Amino acid sequence: MENGFQKSKKQQVLHVVYYFLLFGFAFFYLLPFWGAITTSLKPANDVLTTSPLSLPSQPTLSAYVDAFRHLRKPLLNSLIVTIGGSFFSIMLGSMCGYVFAQYRFKFDNVVFIFVVSAIFLPYQAILVPLFQTIRSLGLYDSVWGLILAHTAYGIPMTTLMFRSFYGDIPQRLVQQATLDGYGPWAIYRKVVLPSTKIATVTAMVFQFASIWNELVFALVLTGNKAMPATVSLNQMMGTLAAEWNIQMAGSMWVALPVLLLYLIMGKYLIRGYMAGSVAAT
Amino acid sequence: MAKFFQRYPFAVLILPLGFIFYFVYVGLGWNIVVSLSRWIGLRVNYSFNGFGNYQRLFEDPVFWLSLKNTFLLFLIIPICILLGLFQALLLDWNLRGTTIFRSIFLLPFALSFVVTGTLWAWMYNPANGIINSLMRAMGLGSLAGTWHTAQETVMPAIILALVWQFSGYVALIFLAGLKSVPQNQINAAYLDGASSFKVFRRVVLPQLKAPLATSVVIIAMYALRSFDFIWVLTGGGPGYASHTLPIMMYRETFLSTRYAYGASVATVLLIIVLILIVPYVYKTYRR
Repeated sequence: MENGFQKSKKQQVLHVVYYFLLFGFAFFYLLPFWGAITTSLKPANDVLTTSPLSLPSQPTLSAYVDAFRHLRKPLLNSLIVTIGGSFFSIMLGSMCGYVFAQYRFKFDNVVFIFVVSAIFLPYQAILVPLFQTIRSLGLYDSVWGLILAHTAYGIPMTTLMFRSFYGDIPQRLVQQATLDGYGPWAIYRKVVLPSTKIATVTAMVFQFASIWNELVFALVLTGNKAMPATVSLNQMMGTLAAEWNIQMAGSMWVALPVLLLYLIMGKYLIRGYMAGSVAAT
Repeated sequence: MAKFFQRYPFAVLILPLGFIFYFVYVGLGWNIVVSLSRWIGLRVNYSFNGFGNYQRLFEDPVFWLSLKNTFLLFLIIPICILLGLFQALLLDWNLRGTTIFRSIFLLPFALSFVVTGTLWAWMYNPANGIINSLMRAMGLGSLAGTWHTAQETVMPAIILALVWQFSGYVALIFLAGLKSVPQNQINAAYLDGASSFKVFRRVVLPQLKAPLATSVVIIAMYALRSFDFIWVLTGGGPGYASHTLPIMMYRETFLSTRYAYGASVATVLLIIVLILIVPYVYKTYRR
C-alpha cells in the first residue's frame, strides 16, 4: 500500500493533467462559437480591422437585425416543416414500432430489416425520383412537399426508436390488459402510450433537431417561397460574402432553436442520439 | 376506426410501410432506370441508353477524384474513434464538471452542417479568419494557412472540421459502453494486481466492441453522405478539389440538369453503401 501523502500528491498531479486535457478539448470545440459570437456583435467596419477573437469594443445587435431581415420567412418555413415532419413521422413511426415490438408475424424480421435499412440510405440515390414525385404532386416549393419527404424518410428512425422503447414496456401490463378484454388498439392507447411519454418526448426532440438541421431535401424541393432557414443561410454566404458579422449572426439565428433544445432538453436529445446508436447494435 | 384496428392490428403498418416502399425502394429502382436513360435538361426523357452513362462516368476524371475524396473522408473514422475513446475515458473519471464537458464536446454534433459549415468558413478564412488570427497572435504567423481555399489543403481542412463535429458523438457512444462494463470485473482485476493499463487492455477494451462497431458504421454513413458540410464550406471547390460523390451528383443533376448522368453517380454511391453497410445491418437485426 502506498502511504496517503504520496497517493494524494500523485492524484493531485493527475487531476491537473485531467483538467488540462478537458479544457484543451473544450477550447477546440468552443473556438468557432467564440469567434462567431464576437464577430456577430461587431459593426461591419470592425470585422476586418480587428481580430475575430477580440471582444467587440462597441457591441451592437445590428448584424442580428440585418440577418433576421433575410431569415424571417425561412425561419418560419423551417418551423412549420419541422413541426409537421416531426408530428407525422412520430405518429406513423410509433404505431409501426409498436407492432414490431409486440407482435410476431410471418417475415416480421425481414420487413423490419427493410424498414431499418432505409436509415443508412444515401439520399442521393432517391433524390431524382423524390424530386419528380413532389413535382408531379404539385408540391414543389411548398412546405407540404418537404413535410411529406421528412415524414417518409423519418419513419425508419422513429420506428427503430419506438420499437426499442416499446420493447421495454413490461409484458405483464400488456397481458393484464389483454385479460381484461382490451383489444390491441385500446392497449396501445390506454397502456402503451401513457407509459411511453418520455420515449415520445425523446423522439420528438430528436426529429425536431434532425429536420430543422437538414439541407439536401430543402435545397432540392424548395425555391424562394417555401425555402427553409438552412438554405437561406447558405445563400447568404454567396450574397453577403464579405459581411461576416451578418453571416455569423445568421448562423446564430439558425442554430438558436436547436441550441435552446440542447440547453433545455439536452437529456432527451442525448437519449435520442443513444437510441439511434445503441438500438443500432 | 378503433374497431377496425382492433380486428386488424397489422393494418396500422399499411401507411408507414407504404411510404417506405414507395419513397425508398421504388425510388431506388426508379433512380437506376433514370441512370440508364438519356435524360438531359428539364424535359423528362426515359429513352434507353444502356450503360452509356456509366461508360462516360468511368472515363470522367471528376468521378475518380470524387470517389477518391469520398474514401479519403473515411480517415475521420479512426481519428474520431481514437479521440472519442480518449475523451470517454477522461469523462468516465466522473470528476467535477464532467457533464458540462460532455455537453460541450457534443455541442457541434447537435447543430446543422449549414451552421457549422458557415462557422468553419470564418475559422478558415485566410485573410482575417479565426485560426490564422490565432496563429498570428501566438507568433506563428508563418503557419497561417490557405485552408479550404487551396486545392492542396482543402481536404485536410474538411477532415479536421468533421472530426470537430463528430468526435464528441463518438465519445458519447464510448462513454455509454464504458459505463456498462461491470465494476466488479474491474475491481477483481485490480485485486489480482493488474496495472491500470492492463485492466484497460484486458478487461475494458474487449467489452467495447459494440460501441466501436456502432461508431464505425455511423461515421461511415455520414462520410458517404458527406454533402451538407462540404457544400456549404466549399461547394466542391476550389475547382473540383473537394468534390465527393454526393457533391458531384448534386451538381450534375440539379445544376447542370444532366439527370441521367447524375443518377448514375447516385447508383455508384448506392452500390458502395450496399457493399459496406448491408452486411452490418443484416448481422445486427437477424434474430
